Amino acid sequence: MEVVVDDKDLKAAGAQPLPDGRRGLRIHGWEIESHKGTILKSSTFQEWEEKLDTTHLPEMVFGESGLVIKHVKTGTKIHFNAFDALGGWKKEGLPPVEVPAAAQWKFRSKPFQQVILDYDYTFTTPYDGSETIEMDTEKDGNGKILDSSSNLQWEDCEEKIDMVSLASKEPILFFDEVVLYEDELADSGVSLLTVKVRVMPSCWFLLLRFWLRVDGVLMRLRDTRMHCAFDDSASPVILRESCWRETTFQALSAKGYPTDSAAYSDPSIISQRLPVVMHRTQKLKVSGNL
Amino acid sequence: MSDLDRQIEQLKKCEPLKESEVKALCLKAMEILVEESNVQRVDAPVTICGDIHGQFYDMKELFKVGGDCPKTNYLFLGDFVDRGFYSVETFLLLLALKVRYPDRITLIRGNHESRQITQVYGFYDECLRKYGSVNVWRYCTDIFDYLSLSALIENKIFSVHGGLSPAISTLDQIRTIDRKQEVPHDGAMCDLLWSDPEDIVDGWGLSPRGAGFLFGGSVVTSFNHSNNIDYICRAHQLVMEGYKWMFNSQIVTVWSAPNYCYRCGNVAAILELDENLNKQFRVFDAAPQESRGTPAKKPAPDYFL
Repeated sequence: MEVVVDDKDLKAAGAQPLPDGRRGLRIHGWEIESHKGTILKSSTFQEWEEKLDTTHLPEMVFGESGLVIKHVKTGTKIHFNAFDALGGWKKEGLPPVEVPAAAQWKFRSKPFQQVILDYDYTFTTPYDGSETIEMDTEKDGNGKILDSSSNLQWEDCEEKIDMVSLASKEPILFFDEVVLYEDELADSGVSLLTVKVRVMPSCWFLLLRFWLRVDGVLMRLRDTRMHCAFDDSASPVILRESCWRETTFQALSAKGYPTDSAAYSDPSIISQRLPVVMHRTQKLKVSGNL
Repeated sequence: MSDLDRQIEQLKKCEPLKESEVKALCLKAMEILVEESNVQRVDAPVTICGDIHGQFYDMKELFKVGGDCPKTNYLFLGDFVDRGFYSVETFLLLLALKVRYPDRITLIRGNHESRQITQVYGFYDECLRKYGSVNVWRYCTDIFDYLSLSALIENKIFSVHGGLSPAISTLDQIRTIDRKQEVPHDGAMCDLLWSDPEDIVDGWGLSPRGAGFLFGGSVVTSFNHSNNIDYICRAHQLVMEGYKWMFNSQIVTVWSAPNYCYRCGNVAAILELDENLNKQFRVFDAAPQESRGTPAKKPAPDYFL
C-alpha cells in the first residue's frame, strides 16, 4: 500500500525519506516509520501465548508490523503494535458472543465430558496506542528507553481534530496501512485491527481501527484518530479522538437497514449506521523537559 | 484436441470458461461425483493438498512442485473458493481435471463449498462480476452438494476438511450420511467440515461461539484405533509453516495457500505419499508477483478520515 511520492513535494515540505529502504520519512522534527512483516511463526506464537497468559490468539498476528511516530528532539514515541493491543484484549476480557447457530446447538446431544471454552474470541481491544520516551541514541550512546506510562500525560480536552482541513487535498507525502492482527472468527465474520497513516506538508494524521463483525449478531467499530499540526514549536500538541460504535443486526433490521453480512464488508461506508457508544478527546503536549 | 482438453488449457492460463461451458462441465462432473462414496477410497501414491482459496497462481506453483495431473495423483481437501481473486478459475480447473481424469484427482468438500459461506466471502461476488449473472455460482454451488465428505487412503489415512464429530465413531457412520445438500448448521456433516483439533482439551470442547466442536488428543486416539487408521490428514486452519502435526503424530494439518490473502507471508505445503505410504512434505512459496499476470496495483493516496 505504498504510494509513490513526488520528490519535489517532499523537498518543498522539508521532508526526507528514511534511508536504507526503510518505509517512512522525517519531517519537522518527527520521524514516521511503518514496518510490515509476516504473521507469527508457530514458535513465536506460543511464546506470545505464554507472555500474554492466554491459550488463544488471532490466527493472523502480524507481530513484526507496526507504526512508529517519534518526536526526535524529545524522544517521545507513539507506536502501534499487535502485542500491546492483545494485552488490552486480555485485560478487557469481554464475555464471548454467541453466533446465530448457537441457538440450534443448544439442542444437540452433548458429547461425554464437554468443555466449553469461554475466552473473547472476537479479540476486541480498547487499545489506543503505546507510548514511550526514547532518549536520543546519539546523546547517551546506548539508547536508554524509559517506560513512560507515568511520564506521558494525555489530558481530556474540548478541542476536536479539524476534519475540514484534513479533507483538503494537500499532497500526501507518506501513506501506509498496516494490519496488526486479523481473525476470520472461523468464517463467522471478521476481527481486524489496522493502523493507517498519512503525512502531509502541514500535519500527520492516523487512524487506528478495530473492526468486528460477527455475522448475524453484531458489529463493533473502535476508532482512534491522532492528529498533529506542524508548527515547529518546541512542544507540539497531539490530539487523540477515540470513537467507539456498536450495534446488533437485530437493531439494524428494526431500522430497516439490510442485515446480510455482505452489505457490511467496509466499515468506512457503514460506520454512520452504528450508534456511538463512547467518545473521548484527549491531547498530549510533547515537551522536552520530562 | 477435445473440447475438455482445450478448456483445461484455457483454464491453466487463468481464463474462465463461457457460461454454457461451465453448465456442461458441471453436468458431467455431477455424473462422476454422484457415484463417489462419502468416504472415497484413494490409492497411493497420492499427493494431499489443503485449502487453496481462489489463489490460482499459487495453485499453479503447487502443480509445479507436486507435478501435473494426471502424472501425479491428487487429493484436495476442500476450500477451493473464497478469499482469493480467482475462485472461478481455480474451482473450474480442478473440476475440469476431475472430469478429464476422474481416477487421478479426488476433490472433497470444505466448509467454503457452501451457498451461504460463498455469499459472504467472495465467490458469489466474483461470479457476478465475471459473468454478469449468478448462473455460474448456481451451477458450481449445485456441484458442491455432490462433493464427497472424506477420503480414505489405502485404508490407513483418513482425510477430511475439518475434523471429527461426536456423532461419528466409525467410518461406516460417515457412509450413511445423505450428503447431497447444503452444509447444515449442525450435525455430523457440519462437524466433518468445520471442527478443529485443540490442544487445551483432551476430549470434546465447544467453541466460545456456541457452535463448532473442538476435539482433543484422546478423541483422535480412540477414532484412529477403532477405525484401524494410522493418522488423520485435514486442512481448514492456517499454518505459518504449511503443515503441523498434533497429538503425537496422530493428526496433521496441511495448508496449501501460500501468503494467504496475499499478505500473511506464510509458506504452503502438500503431503506426498509414495506407494508404501512414506511421507514427504513439500513446502512452497507464493507465486512471484511478475507471474501473476496483473502488475502490482499502486494504490492512489488514500485521504482517509
